Amino acid sequence: MTVKEFKLPDVGEGVAEGELVSWQVSPGDTVSEGDIVAEVETDKALVEVPSRYDGTVKELFAEEGDMVPVGDVIISFEVGGTEGGDAEAEAPDTEGEPGAPAEEAETDTEEATSAETPDGRVFAPPAARKLARELDVDIGEVEGSGPGGRISEADVRAHAESAEVHDETADGTAVTPGEGEAPAEPTGADASETVSADAGPRAERDTTLAVPATRALAEELGVDIHAVPTEKTRDGEAFVEEADVRAFAEREEEGATAAGAEAAGADATAEPAREETVPYRGVRRTIGEQMATSKYTAPHVTHHDTAEIDELVETREELKRTAEEKGVRLTYMAFVLKAVVAGLKEYPILNSELDEEEEVIRLKNYYNIGIAVATDAGLMVPVVKNVDEKGLLEIADEVQELATKARERTISPQEMQGGTFSITNFGAFGGEYATPIINYPETAILGLGAIEERPVVEDGEVVAAHTLPLSLAIDHRVIDGAEAAKFTNTVKEYLAEPTKLLL
Amino acid sequence: MVVGDVTTGTEVLVIGAGPGGYVAAIRAAQNGLDTTLVDRDAYGGVCLNYGCIPSKALISATDVAYDARNATEMGVHADPVIHTDEMQEWKEGVVDQLTGGVEKLCKANGVNLMQGEATFVDDSTARIAHGGEGQGSETIAFEHAIVATGSRPIEVPGFEFEHDPIWSSREALEVEEPPEKLLVVGAGYIGMELSTVFAKLGVDVTVVEMLDGIMPGYEDDVTRPVKQRADELGIDFNFGEAASEWEETEGGVVVTTEDEDGEEYTYDADKVLVAVGRQPVSESLDPEAAGVDVDENGFIRTDDQARTNVDNVYAVGDVAGEPMLAHKASNEGIVAAEVIAGEPAALDQQAIPAAVFTDPEIATVGMTEAEAEEAGFEPKIGQFPFRASGRALSTGESEGFVRIVAEQEAGFVLGAQIVGPEASELIAELGLAIEMGATLEDVASTVHTHPTLAEAVMEAAENANGEAIHTLNR
Repeated sequence: MTVKEFKLPDVGEGVAEGELVSWQVSPGDTVSEGDIVAEVETDKALVEVPSRYDGTVKELFAEEGDMVPVGDVIISFEVGGTEGGDAEAEAPDTEGEPGAPAEEAETDTEEATSAETPDGRVFAPPAARKLARELDVDIGEVEGSGPGGRISEADVRAHAESAEVHDETADGTAVTPGEGEAPAEPTGADASETVSADAGPRAERDTTLAVPATRALAEELGVDIHAVPTEKTRDGEAFVEEADVRAFAEREEEGATAAGAEAAGADATAEPAREETVPYRGVRRTIGEQMATSKYTAPHVTHHDTAEIDELVETREELKRTAEEKGVRLTYMAFVLKAVVAGLKEYPILNSELDEEEEVIRLKNYYNIGIAVATDAGLMVPVVKNVDEKGLLEIADEVQELATKARERTISPQEMQGGTFSITNFGAFGGEYATPIINYPETAILGLGAIEERPVVEDGEVVAAHTLPLSLAIDHRVIDGAEAAKFTNTVKEYLAEPTKLLL
Repeated sequence: MVVGDVTTGTEVLVIGAGPGGYVAAIRAAQNGLDTTLVDRDAYGGVCLNYGCIPSKALISATDVAYDARNATEMGVHADPVIHTDEMQEWKEGVVDQLTGGVEKLCKANGVNLMQGEATFVDDSTARIAHGGEGQGSETIAFEHAIVATGSRPIEVPGFEFEHDPIWSSREALEVEEPPEKLLVVGAGYIGMELSTVFAKLGVDVTVVEMLDGIMPGYEDDVTRPVKQRADELGIDFNFGEAASEWEETEGGVVVTTEDEDGEEYTYDADKVLVAVGRQPVSESLDPEAAGVDVDENGFIRTDDQARTNVDNVYAVGDVAGEPMLAHKASNEGIVAAEVIAGEPAALDQQAIPAAVFTDPEIATVGMTEAEAEEAGFEPKIGQFPFRASGRALSTGESEGFVRIVAEQEAGFVLGAQIVGPEASELIAELGLAIEMGATLEDVASTVHTHPTLAEAVMEAAENANGEAIHTLNR
């Protein structure tokens, strides 16, 4: 039997980490290749992670709720001797070294033995042992700097700091003492790199090695790459990876908050909590980041108008039965999608993307329409692809399916990518007008109010008519108000006379 | 709930006011927890009332008399007259002062004191039955409980303590008039301490012990000076015999013992002191009602935070297992109180020292040579005999030695055994050395006052390193 370790695979384009939502297996379970072992929520979707091996689950390295970077070992299997497996995920023998990836296991063991004595005793004064407990450090893992390896308080602190950095690189969240986080175990995707015990939370270097993408990220996040702590080296120079930069940037941001939270934590023992915290990560954080990017990048202008849709209401009523016979619930959304595509074809500038680097506006000749869906986890935008090539029923069916998947969180990242224009149906919850935020880098989004009978003026008389309030937000860098109004007029026309859609 | 019950509530209920319980209660209160301390008897527990403190008082008093009588070598000739009743009065004064102090400390720290016997109702309530007729009882709701109910002397079947001539250590320590002949069953530390006290009071003491030597937990060379002194005091030892029965005779008792081969021996005595060990007090508390597991010996098992299998119930001291030592109880009490207060406390001591107040004293901490070997160390040993100590010779007490056990490579101190004058005091330095991860070099290089007994510790460390000045290095 050999032990195979399995790393969190790249579950989708550009996904750096995922929250381990649930384990589908426990140690001792027998699994076959392809069996689902875990569910991981990335910043884009909930993904099922299949096993690559036939064998028995040996150990789980992450807890439900942990943030796991792509490439970190999450599970190990015991498999029959001849198993080929994935070279990258292979681990010769990592028995008894939980959390340590294959390559590092040996080094770790050595370190541990040098600090330990035959009966596992650690030579450290009580004050150092107490500090270790306070900092949640396993004193057995601390390397002592005193005579014979005696551990001082400074050694414990150094270890705690390096473990903290390590921990952060691993899961992208800052660990503050006393927060009740799991003990910082040296996990580490850092292969055979050397580990320096005193890598502080903020480094000061003159030279830093990093791949260009990492440097770009650092620049984007406003991080001085020489200040990013790392334990990894290449050719004797400090080597920084994207995860380090992200962790550092987050920690810099969270520093002040964490201090505040700690103070609040101390009070909490005396009084019932007046505030609660909910984690800002996963889908929630992605939404937040998306919204901020969009709002701060694209100058938004929202154009409001109302479509009178009595005819559409009738048409839908007529077609509904036919659709139902085919097992499809015909929704207004399908009509709106068709009308929007018709509008986009006339005003392609709304089906575009601004590429500032290349200094071009990319006009898309395909029509992938994103539909914002409210889910328990937050807003998701599944994309109906090539709407122009599809019929009403097909569209209605697809919208329905994607929305269900999004709510059940079985939607794949691919199903939420590649949009060219988005629609948000806030009217489903009531309301008339809103100022939607563009699904960046798209350049426009159409918000739908609630379809209701409202007073309209017809031939000088106020009458009741079914109306659909429209809120079109545009990126004013690319689109001007006139185009927005014209586009909206076109959409209105198609919605007012749905038979036009047949043309 | 019983009619007439009054229910009160507390954050921390500490059951038992001995050195585990009262210390836990004070620390819990210091941490801002609403704390109630309940005891069915007296503040300070067995230690202050019927154990450590009264026995040490009597040991010191009888030592004064004995030393006075045996100082002719120093040119002092005396024949002291002992008034045992006055000795008892003085001892009671010491006890009262200490127990009064405990009560004051508890109150000053805001601990609610309650008298009565606690019984668990479930894992969040206990009933306190107040002693005495018509005192009634009350129910107390708690968030956390610390069980510190301690231990009591083990009874040998047939030798129950309710019979007048059969004494436990408690009765022995309260004696107003010493018996002429005392039979002591058990040569453990309590049996040896009290045999010595009574021998020094002029009592004819005979010891019967089932095993083949005194204080079997200690190494032979450590107990040898104690046995020698006991022999000199005229204590008669009979090993390999177990007390089987006794009967009252005119003016005394006859005790029958039996050896391995079934052969019987009889001993005449006025009183019989049974000192064969102590057992935990847990059953009256009904720990099962709170879901707390108790092992077959009555001990409550705890983790390294003094927590039982029930999350909000802790156990400290004798009831939580060996070693049954007051200082261990206090340490556990502090840890339990701090854990409840949410601090990262843990029982992570490397060693818990132990002292026996025999003549001469024995004190140990950490590992013996054999234990160090068993733990996988290659031990390095250093020893210093008190007969080479100027101070020991000048007190007239020069039996015994200091032995230090260290780890070979860096010389980390692993343990120590001391037999000799003030061993119980000298052990503290070695306890500190072990906890600090000090090496032989650290101890040897620390300048010790001359002339003191403590120099022996330094010399033993030097000896282990082959650098002793006042002994030949081995």
